[in-house]
Amino acid sequence: MDTGNLNKHISGQFNDELENVRSKILAMGGLVEQQLMDVLTAARDKNTELAQDVINTDDKVNNFEMEIDEECTRIIAKRQPTASDLRLMMTIVKTITDLERIGDLAESIARAVLRNQSSVPDVVKFNLEAMGEQIVKMLRNVLDAFARMDLKSAWDVHQSDRKVDSLHEGIVRQLLTYMMGDSRSIPDMLELLSTSRSLERVGDHCTNIAEYVIYNVTGKDIRHTSAAQIEQVVKSRAE
Amino acid sequence: MITVTPTGSAATRDLSALTDAETALEIKNLDLYYGSKQALYDVSMKIPKNQVTAFIGPSGCGKSTLLRCLNRMNDLVDICRIEGQILLHGQNIYDRKVDVASLRRGIGMVFQRPNPFPKSIYENVVYGLRLQGIKDRRLLDEAVERSLRGAALWDEVKDRLNDNAFGLSGGQQQRLVIARAIAIEPEVLLLDEPTSALDPISTLTIEELINDLKKQFTVVIVTHNMQQAARVSDQTAFMYMGEMIEYSDTNTLFTTPEKKKTEDYITGRYG
Repeated sequence: MDTGNLNKHISGQFNDELENVRSKILAMGGLVEQQLMDVLTAARDKNTELAQDVINTDDKVNNFEMEIDEECTRIIAKRQPTASDLRLMMTIVKTITDLERIGDLAESIARAVLRNQSSVPDVVKFNLEAMGEQIVKMLRNVLDAFARMDLKSAWDVHQSDRKVDSLHEGIVRQLLTYMMGDSRSIPDMLELLSTSRSLERVGDHCTNIAEYVIYNVTGKDIRHTSAAQIEQVVKSRAE
Repeated sequence: MITVTPTGSAATRDLSALTDAETALEIKNLDLYYGSKQALYDVSMKIPKNQVTAFIGPSGCGKSTLLRCLNRMNDLVDICRIEGQILLHGQNIYDRKVDVASLRRGIGMVFQRPNPFPKSIYENVVYGLRLQGIKDRRLLDEAVERSLRGAALWDEVKDRLNDNAFGLSGGQQQRLVIARAIAIEPEVLLLDEPTSALDPISTLTIEELINDLKKQFTVVIVTHNMQQAARVSDQTAFMYMGEMIEYSDTNTLFTTPEKKKTEDYITGRYG
């Protein structure tokens, strides 16, 4: 979509419907982004109130998912979208699933914050925060790529997932070291492990959304293909 | 490890690479003029055998004109002039030697409004055969049943073959006309907006029929209804102002068209 192209249908109603669904998904993205930032702050500051907020917000995110799904179903039934309109519908339906899952992961980290108030080793804390920052950036960038249907930034997000994966691996190694050193730390370390794992999964969902954006713009399904192949698709389009 | 490659328009079949054996009709650099006004510009395409090919495009884009070229219906228009070639079995149908009547026996046509003759259902179906001088009652009976079955009308009319065709509903009349067209066993069937005068259910019946017909015939259909083209055709040609803008697999054309004009048209945008 160039967003500018969404409102060019002869049918003004169709324009309105697409615009409506688009603004809803951006609102949903904004909500999930806020959830993620809040849960990271809550984890850092051990702020249980904020963690509870994150949990409460999840209902809204879920509602958005169902509403947007329904709207897309209606549009498909009534308008029989084709070509870029059809790809946009598919992209939206898939994107909201991933956004909703990101919301769930934020919620599960928030629950861990409520459960676990023990101290976190500084080095792990430092790395988790670095990973959190990276993840927030990734989510923000992919939402931005979605809003502008920008191929280049979608591809950047896709590539940045490797960074997140290696941060996660580093954290896993550190946690193992602590667990081997002191078996009493195992329950706390497992909690941290699951937090790190959740953040890493958020990165994967962002990558999925980036893939949908690339599909929407180019019409090529690049899931499960190699980085080199994706790069080729992105570049051939940019030319 | 299984390698996955990106899917999408990359999988498109190259229609210009069809072999002669796979091609029913080949249009080569066709220009058409009505008087001094050019209506078709350098159209080239290969229409594959035993498949359904749809022409879509806005009113006046030349899709019906192009369809009519395929069995020389435009010969009836005095001011019409044609350059280029249309090849059937390697022979240009616009060649002087070609007998137009026998050409039209090989390339049948069905129009927008059902046009049965004011005769019985039976006589409508055998009309073409009688013109060919076939009198054998048994042959005619066989042809009637075969054609009406082929047009998915047999069960509805088998007990009243001698009733007047005007007593049939619009959808039945259109299927009768299709039965009449296939009774003489043409190779190619041209359908010019065959369902635009029919209700949605009759339309679906005809669409289902089109899908059956392609086993035996090559079908070329002009339609204003894009969803219909998407549903019934194997490949679709988009025409705009006398030019063929894009011609490809229907699946590709409706999901990832290459040209912006095509995209704008099928998504209902103004360019």
